[in-house]
Formats: sequence, structure tokens, C-alpha cells
Amino acid sequence: MEIIQKFGLEIKLLLFQIVNFLIIAFILKKFLYIPLKKILDERKHKIEQSLLESNNTKIILEGAKEERKKLLFEAKNNANTLIETAKVSIVEAKEKIIMETKRHSEQILDDAKQRAATEFKIMNNQIEKMSIDVSRKIILRVLSDLFSDDEKQKFISRALKKLDEKIKN
Amino acid sequence: MQIKPDMLFSIANFPVTNTIIATIISDIIIISFILIISRAISLKPNSIQNVTEVVIDYFMETTREIAGERASFIYPWVLSFFIFILVSNLIAQFPGFESITFKASMSNSHIKVPLLKAATSDLNLTLAFAVISVILTHYFSIKYTGIKAYFTRFITFRVFPIFLFVGILEFSNEITKIISFSFRLFGNISSGEKIMETMYNIFSFGLPLPFMLLEILVAIIQAMIFAMLTMVFMHIMTDKPH
Repeated sequence: MEIIQKFGLEIKLLLFQIVNFLIIAFILKKFLYIPLKKILDERKHKIEQSLLESNNTKIILEGAKEERKKLLFEAKNNANTLIETAKVSIVEAKEKIIMETKRHSEQILDDAKQRAATEFKIMNNQIEKMSIDVSRKIILRVLSDLFSDDEKQKFISRALKKLDEKIKN
Repeated sequence: MQIKPDMLFSIANFPVTNTIIATIISDIIIISFILIISRAISLKPNSIQNVTEVVIDYFMETTREIAGERASFIYPWVLSFFIFILVSNLIAQFPGFESITFKASMSNSHIKVPLLKAATSDLNLTLAFAVISVILTHYFSIKYTGIKAYFTRFITFRVFPIFLFVGILEFSNEITKIISFSFRLFGNISSGEKIMETMYNIFSFGLPLPFMLLEILVAIIQAMIFAMLTMVFMHIMTDKPH
């Protein structure tokens, strides 16, 4: 008892301190720990969500990069195929053009030959006509002095007739 | 050397001592702090909220590391002990404690006593903390391990007499807990006060300064020790016995 008195232990003070601390602990829990824990949890949740979103964005970005790579690869392949096709087409077109040109030039040559043959034929006819004319004139001049007018007329008519027939043929 | 608190006056047979006044000041400081914090709580914390969050988070994580899932009901008590003891210890370093005197009436005579004395230098307060801590520990033990598991700590029906002895030791350990809890805090703070008083009496200017820093350190360490021991005991008692 003496020790208790020496330390000033008193049941009323002890009870007061117990009740006082319990009240303070209650206030601390109710108005400090719970609201702050709520805030901490909310912040943690937001950070986790942001991290998740960032990870998702990263995944999407990686996907986009892959897609880009794939598209570039496809585009390159398509371009190569197009170039190859174009090369083949160019060669084909070149050959076609050459063939066309050859055919056209041959046609032109044939036309020219045909025209030349026709011209030659016409020219031949004209030359023949002219030579007949010249021959007639020569006959008329040569025979005028040798034969009488009637004979002349007969010879001339016969020769002319033969010439006309020849011309007609 | 007087180690008990000085009675200033009484209200309806309730003795108001200088440590009671210090306790009430601690209460006012804590409640004011809660009011300041709770008004400005937001997702973007200000500096005070930031510091408080760091302290709360530290205790929460430490308790979680030690007690796992049981941290949710252990940490509020541990943190409350820490805050209350820390505030009570630190305000005792402020000027006015032990120096401002009050004329107390003691059986027809008036004597000058200090108006304010460190609340934790009162064994009533430290014993109250110890009792609350131990009772809560046992309450949580019954609640979370069950009444049967709780009693098997103290009473065992095994044939070897050593287990009966272990049970008695466990029981005496609980009594020792109360004594060690209360006297450790009380002894450290009381002795610190006496050292400071002696230093002030030897030379008031400069000399008490290193001791004051030491007292601040002791104040923090003692608050931490009390809180951590409570945490460990709560964890041990809420763990199912093997």
C-alpha cells in the first residue's frame, strides 16, 4: 500500500486515464484513420488503375507496332510483286509494240508494193498507148508516100484496127 | 524525491493533478490536429496530410508484415498508443512544464506545485495504457482464436507436469507485461524529467540543451517501444497456439 501511495496510484485517476484514452482512440480511429485509409486505398486503386491502363496502352502500342511492321512488310511484298508484274508487262508490251510495228510496216510495204504495181500497170498501159500512137503516126508518115489514098486508107484502117484490138486486149 | 503527480485541486472528490492537466492538453492537441487534417483531406495531400499518411502507412505496413491479415484491427490501437504517448512526451519538453507553479491548497496550507508535469510521468496513465493494451490483447485473442484455444495457453490437459508449469509461466507473463509496460514508460519519462530538473538547477543556459535533445529522442523511442510491443503481443496472442 505504501508503494502504491508513493507512486500516486489512485483508482479514480486510473479510470479517468483509461476512459480518456479510449475516447481519444475512438476519435482517432473514426476521424483520422478511417478517412485517411479510405483516401490511401482510393489513391492506391487509382495508381493501380493508371498502371493497368498504361500497361494496356503499352500492349496496344506494341500491337500497333507489330501491325505497322506487318503492313510495311505486306506493302513491300506488294510493291515487289507490282514491280515484277510491271517488268513482265513492259516486256510483253514491248514485244507487242514491236510485233504491231512489224505488222504495220509489212502492211505499209505491201500497200506500197501493190500501189507501185498498179502504178506500173497504168504506166505500162500509158506507155503502150503512147507507143501505139507513135507507131500510128510513124505508119501514117511512112506509108503516105508509098501507097495511094485508098490503099493507104485500107492499110491504115487495118493497122489501126489491129492496134485497137491489141489495145483492147 | 517525489515521483507521484501533484494534486492541484479537486472537483467533486475527483483529484485534478498536474498530469491530468497535461493529459487534457495532449487531448486538445490531438483533437485539434484531427480537426485540421479531416477538414483538408483530399486525394492530393497537403504537407500535414502527407506526413500523417506516411506515419499511418508505416504502422499499417509494419503491422501487416508482422500480423498479416490481423493488421486491420491491431494497427489502430498501436497507432493510437504511439500518437498519444508521443504527444504527451513531446509537450513535456515545452517551456512551462515543471516551471510554472500553482498554489495548491493541501490540508489548511498552501504549497507551490508545478502546474504542468509530463502526463507519462504519472504511473496512473502508464498503468492505464498497460491495462488497456493487455486487456485488448486478450480480447482479440478470444475473438480471433476462440475461447478454447485461448484457455489452452494457460491450462493444458497434457500428462507432463512441465505443461502445467508452462501454463503458470504464461499467466505470470501476462501480469509481468502490465508491470513492464507501465514501469518502463513511467521510469524513462520520470527519470528524464529529474535529469532535466537537475540540469536546469546546475546551469540553466546551454547545459540542458543536449539533454533536451536526448529527451526528445527518448520520447520518440518510448512511444515506439510501447506501440511495437503492443503490436507484437497482439500478434502472438491472436496466433493460434501450437
